[in-house]
Amino acid sequence: MRTRLLLAAGAVAAWLLPYGLDSYAIHVVDVILIFAILAIGLGLAMGIAGQVNLAQVAVFGVGAYVTAILTTRAGLGFWVAAVLAVLATVVIGLVIGVPALRVQSHYLGIVTLGLALAFTSWVTNAQASGGAEGISGIPVPELPGVDLSSEYLYYYLELIVFAILLAFGLFVVRTSLGRRMRAMRDDALAAGSLGAEVPVLRMAAFLLASVYGGLGGVLYAGLIRYVAPESFNIANMFLLLGMVIIGGRQSLVGCVVGAVGLALVREALVDHPQIAQIAYGSVVVLVVVFAPTGLAGLPVRVRSAVARRRGRQGAAARLKPFQPYDPEPSRRDGETILQVDRVTKQFRGLKALDDVSLTVAAGEIRGVVGPNGSGKTTLFNVISGLYKPTRGRVRFRDADRTGDAPYRLARAGLSRTFQNLRLFGDLTVEENILVARDRSRTWESWRYLLRPISVLRRDRELHRHARDVLDRYGLAEFAALAPKSLPYGIQRRVEIARAVAAGPALLLLDEPAAGLNGEEVRQLAEIVRSIRDSGITVIIIEHNMGLVMTLCERVTVLAGGRIIADGTPAEVARTPAVIEAYLGDSMTAGDLPPISEVTR
Amino acid sequence: MQVFLQTIIGGVSLGAVYALVALGFSLVYRTMGLVNFAHGNVVTVGAYLASTFYLTSKLPFALAMVIAIAVTGAIGLVIERVLRPLENRDFDLMLIGTIGFGIVLDALVIAIWGATGRAVPSPVQTEPIDLLGLRIRTYDLVVLAIAAAATVLLVLFLSRTKRGAAMQAVAMDHEAATAVGIHVGRSNAIAFMIGAGLAALAGGLVGPLLYVSPALGGALGIKGFAAAILGGFGSIPGAIVGGLAIGVLDSFTAGHFQGYSELVTFIVFTVIIMVRPTGVFGERTVNRA
Amino acid sequence: MTAVSRAPATTGRTLTVRGLTVHYGGVCAVRDLGFEVPAGDAIGVIGANGAGKTSALKAIMGLVPRRVGALRFGDVDLSGVAARDMVRHGIGYVPEGRHVFAGLPVDKNLLLGAYARKWNAETRATLDQVYELFPVLGEMRGRLAGALSGGQQQMLAIGRALMSRPRLLLLDEPSMGLSPKLVEDILAVLLRLRAEGLSLLLVEQNAKLTFEATSSCLVVENGEVAMTGTSERLRHDPRVRRIYLGL
Repeated sequence: MRTRLLLAAGAVAAWLLPYGLDSYAIHVVDVILIFAILAIGLGLAMGIAGQVNLAQVAVFGVGAYVTAILTTRAGLGFWVAAVLAVLATVVIGLVIGVPALRVQSHYLGIVTLGLALAFTSWVTNAQASGGAEGISGIPVPELPGVDLSSEYLYYYLELIVFAILLAFGLFVVRTSLGRRMRAMRDDALAAGSLGAEVPVLRMAAFLLASVYGGLGGVLYAGLIRYVAPESFNIANMFLLLGMVIIGGRQSLVGCVVGAVGLALVREALVDHPQIAQIAYGSVVVLVVVFAPTGLAGLPVRVRSAVARRRGRQGAAARLKPFQPYDPEPSRRDGETILQVDRVTKQFRGLKALDDVSLTVAAGEIRGVVGPNGSGKTTLFNVISGLYKPTRGRVRFRDADRTGDAPYRLARAGLSRTFQNLRLFGDLTVEENILVARDRSRTWESWRYLLRPISVLRRDRELHRHARDVLDRYGLAEFAALAPKSLPYGIQRRVEIARAVAAGPALLLLDEPAAGLNGEEVRQLAEIVRSIRDSGITVIIIEHNMGLVMTLCERVTVLAGGRIIADGTPAEVARTPAVIEAYLGDSMTAGDLPPISEVTR
Repeated sequence: MQVFLQTIIGGVSLGAVYALVALGFSLVYRTMGLVNFAHGNVVTVGAYLASTFYLTSKLPFALAMVIAIAVTGAIGLVIERVLRPLENRDFDLMLIGTIGFGIVLDALVIAIWGATGRAVPSPVQTEPIDLLGLRIRTYDLVVLAIAAAATVLLVLFLSRTKRGAAMQAVAMDHEAATAVGIHVGRSNAIAFMIGAGLAALAGGLVGPLLYVSPALGGALGIKGFAAAILGGFGSIPGAIVGGLAIGVLDSFTAGHFQGYSELVTFIVFTVIIMVRPTGVFGERTVNRA
Repeated sequence: MTAVSRAPATTGRTLTVRGLTVHYGGVCAVRDLGFEVPAGDAIGVIGANGAGKTSALKAIMGLVPRRVGALRFGDVDLSGVAARDMVRHGIGYVPEGRHVFAGLPVDKNLLLGAYARKWNAETRATLDQVYELFPVLGEMRGRLAGALSGGQQQMLAIGRALMSRPRLLLLDEPSMGLSPKLVEDILAVLLRLRAEGLSLLLVEQNAKLTFEATSSCLVVENGEVAMTGTSERLRHDPRVRRIYLGL
């Protein structure tokens, strides 16, 4: 309710704003709105999807230049040119995004920066773009009954576009597409293992950013009606970056606040541009060091600081007991679900896996044990597609899946947890589950434009499913909390819940008991058994031998990258090679207690 | 053939400057895993400092260079010290932090020296050497010699001194380095200082070759980075080969594409990154990217 | 030959750890751990993965933030000493997973072990002693450490720590990923170092190695001490075997 009131007040204020401004001020406001649109686009790419994009101003320039060229040189009407300009920026955005498929972070930053420089170099030299003088005489966009040559009226056009773009951006961020992008930003590996098509998502991020850039460019061409290279140079790119960083890159509203704030400061210091630049450069440095979430992150930081002062720290939320699944014996029980055939994985000189073969039947709980460094996690990484085996094949559900990308395997019904917990740190617990539960394809995101209601409806359904999962795992009270703030044992449970929420046929658990206390281990055993009873095959890497012995029907023992034993827990425990690997040779099998104790 | 060789020679001296810029990038990357986006701006600062001491203060060119290197080295120390809390934690934020410093340096340059550039006369006033019909400017040879000397010194420092070995150790494993008693922060600071010093050396040397303007560093920075990538990031011989290669490429594109030369250079560089992110000569994996 | 370590047992110091607690991002990895490593003695810490052994060792070194009731080495208070200065107090550290400087040659790795000391004739002598202790390192001295086998890297990591001529050596899972034969080799080295008067704190998953290399042990479970005793007694204790084989 309060947010709605604020929104309404904001809308009214924005509507009334021109009445209090002189002709220069309204021009400044018009320019600020364009920067705000650019900042939202950059925020989507950098803050939401984690793609360092230093070509946003160049894309902006493409939008403006294409409009200018098409209207002045080809004689097209403004709106036709505008549509073509946005299409052009979409194409350019995709081209700029291509490097993101290969490189990330610093490399991506420098490549996009290089492409931006290439753009300015082109427009400064090309005949078509008017060289250093640029292009003037862009016609006023015509709108029946509205004279858009008035900057007051142009303001309303911009305001409407801005409001729609902001709303659309927020819509994306809060639903399936944006959630997946944020997951990818936090941990691309885990996102991929949960079925997020990382390459498609990266391209989508660049595409979104360039649409915003292109629309900004069109508005700019219509407002200024003159384009020149220096409006789209690197200095303006860094100014835009400063807006996004200072405002808070992970919040679109923050990006807008940053854009407005910085633009106003720049305007106030318009006679001292160097001082303004030194100031905002310094603020960028201070922000990354001391407040990496920017202005938008301040309220949260203040609130949590106050809470810490008062000694309250989310202690209110309690873990509820796990509610077992209804047993649902799969008809496929006993059939082979996974077949690892003579897999070898070599890292430089080291053979992490050496000729490993393994067959897992549907409905089984399989244990994989072995000393540290024996290749267990490497085996999981090969099965789940993170590593490509040097030799050998992996078959999953009757299909050869060797070397498939993790997201393809995930969509084929494979899910996993990680030894060192890979929860999406800046998403809530519920969002972590939602990302896993969401099986929609990223390329279906055209629905955002054409069928937004269906997107909302599906998202509501996802939320319902996620609630069910949280309830079942006793995590309901943690739904809105950040995983990082939770005790380790609960984080482990969230990760398992997330892996199961993806609806897998085969679940890989990598040391799920590490760091858990005795009671938590007991609960874990119960959870894993129930997961299996619901029809999911489980492979579990574990060091806690008690857990393995009680939980698993079969145990595979690895040592030095080779399988040294495979059989029931009791058989394995009496294999001399296993005892050697764990305890050393001085303790022989004869010293071991009888089997009855083994099965407890 | 004559034209071909003359074009190569024309590219080599600028290539040597690119190589120096690339060395600075590589050194900082090798020791900290960080790409310093302010590097290009430090080049600009170095170029202005050197030309100011040389032209305005009328100091000998060599002395002007030394002072410029010392001052920019100090700037490098400041950058590292401010960003130290982010080291080994968040490289994306550090990247943005160095961009922030770049913004500040850029503005400082314009505030101090103005937006217009200046031409620096060559400190070597002899006639070009004529070798088998090819004209070679003496200053080009000076640039090559200084770049070669700087490279040799850097290699010796890294391979022969305790501090040099420690700096590399920090890059490979900062925890193990700490355990043997290395002050990781100090080591990074020195890396940053040397990197900035190399940038100033490049900037000072390039003054008489190009026009010194606030935009100088941006172009040099990105080409130096392209050189570093081309050679395999973090590799010192790679930086040299990459620098010379970009210099020659530059020289050819300038001949064939005139104003579009930068465009072509950047596109070639983007394609190379796409095809081989580890560089043409590199074998190190791009594990931090 | 002369001993690699700095001091024989007579002038040694006792490491005292009291109330060691380690938090990892809100998670309590180690709770109120306390023990002593008497001068010249070898103490083992065993436990399953995730039990908190490595965290405890890193916290003693100061590589992760530590909270201790007391951390003393002889009469020196170490509780406020930064990780990089521990070596200057005579404490050598062999990290889990070896962590050699992969891109540097073997001899540089070893020399960096003596980083905190002056590089002089004494360093040379120590280097020769390490080569004598691990002849294979001498043969490989010019090779890049990253090109060594797992066992050779482990020896290099131990050799590197010895280069500082420590009084106490902290070892984190030196047997990890090694074949039984190589584990025997490591054991022989540890026994020899101990005989030379070097104190050892050995964190291990391999119980057999630990029991043979140490005089007494702590068994850690979930960040707390579950059992203590002499290594001789523990190796025959049924509970230890249950933890290890789940029996």
